[in-house]
Amino acid sequence: MVQPVLEWQAGRVTAIRPETRQTKSFTFALPKWMAHRPGQHYDVRLTAPDGYQTQRSYSIASPPERLREIELTVERIPDGEVSPYLHDVLMQGDELEVRGPIGGYFVWDVRLGGPLLLVGGGSGVVPLMAMLRHRAAQHSTVPTRMLYSSRSAEDVIYHDELNGMAAANDGFEAFYTFTRQPPAGWTGYRRRIDAAMLAEVIKPFDKRARVYVCGPTLLVEAVANALVEMELPIEQIRTERFGPTGV
Amino acid sequence: MDRDEPDMNTALMVDGNAVAGQLEQIFGRDMTMTIARCAGCARDAQLGALMAFIRGPGVVLRCPACQNAIARIVETPSAIYLEARGAAYLRMAPQG
Ligand SMILES: Cc1cc2nc3c(=O)[nH]c(=O)nc-3n(C[C@H](O)[C@H](O)[C@H](O)COP(=O)(O)OP(=O)(O)OC[C@H]3O[C@@H](n4cnc5c(N)ncnc54)[C@H](O)[C@@H]3O)c2cc1C
Ligand SMILES: [Zn+2]
Repeated sequence: MVQPVLEWQAGRVTAIRPETRQTKSFTFALPKWMAHRPGQHYDVRLTAPDGYQTQRSYSIASPPERLREIELTVERIPDGEVSPYLHDVLMQGDELEVRGPIGGYFVWDVRLGGPLLLVGGGSGVVPLMAMLRHRAAQHSTVPTRMLYSSRSAEDVIYHDELNGMAAANDGFEAFYTFTRQPPAGWTGYRRRIDAAMLAEVIKPFDKRARVYVCGPTLLVEAVANALVEMELPIEQIRTERFGPTGV
Repeated sequence: MDRDEPDMNTALMVDGNAVAGQLEQIFGRDMTMTIARCAGCARDAQLGALMAFIRGPGVVLRCPACQNAIARIVETPSAIYLEARGAAYLRMAPQG
């Protein structure tokens, strides 16, 4: 199968939804929509009136089962160049140049099976959510655990939807850790993800786990190093570093 | 080995997968699962798993095992330069 050429296209913003204080989800209708693999991303390009261009990558939050449109979830980095523009300037009905879907490395779909461990920090949950939404849409029961690090409960993106997925009792469990302010009465994890925490969450899967790690670069580094020390086969570990973003 | 080059700030590092769009633009196909053999240490890695530094004027892809610069990509308004002295070879599945 020859791939169509990767082209920039104008995506029209059809909805903007706040997720948390720092994050918003944007729905784009795409004239040249193509089914993606969960975990893939789009590149977004801004062009200033003087011709200056800058681009960033954003993971697809929506599952491929959702046709003709994609959803991106973006964290606002206060001193950033692109994310404040998306948050503060872009409006419903506007167009934005995007190209994708991109990347065959950080992808999971139900055919790959499990057991699956998803580890995310902050907005790093976005591509993991595409995997979970796809898993749910396919009524998959692949044993899946997610370990998700946030500053506080208010910063958990997709919190209600994740709780709903966990309540479905279809083999998915979510584990949270809060690095700044755990909710009142919280008895779970309250520190950065470390080797001991990973060992606990991965336990039932042991060395069979397929692991996807995504988030700020330093978090991904720490998690990937811990997994390698646990002697998890390196081919089973996939990483997506977002750069110096957040957390 | 040029470990101390200014582009090697670990907090800014991303995965080769982050450059997938640019690579696909150049090669006309997804390159993230293509294997690169490092000319420095002779180990293999998927391009998607290389260390990528994208905050400089161009992109630098480095070997995750020895940090050798496997490839550099610079785009000017009139041309794309891809320098890949640090790769012994690329190995990809045929398309079709
Ligand atoms: C494959 C991929 C997928 C991604 N998916 C998502 C996603 O789904 N959601 C999401 O919110 N983000 C995602 N990101 C991150 C996103 O691409 C941007 O990096 C992020 O939105 C910040 O961009 P910005 O222009 O707002 O900030 P920038 O202007 O890029 O700045 C970001 C921060 O980095 C600092 N910084 C920038 N350059 C330097 C430098 N040279 N030295 C030191 N500090 C520097 C800035 O001070 C600032 O604090 C993804 C990244 C990748 C690579
Ligand atoms: Zn090497």
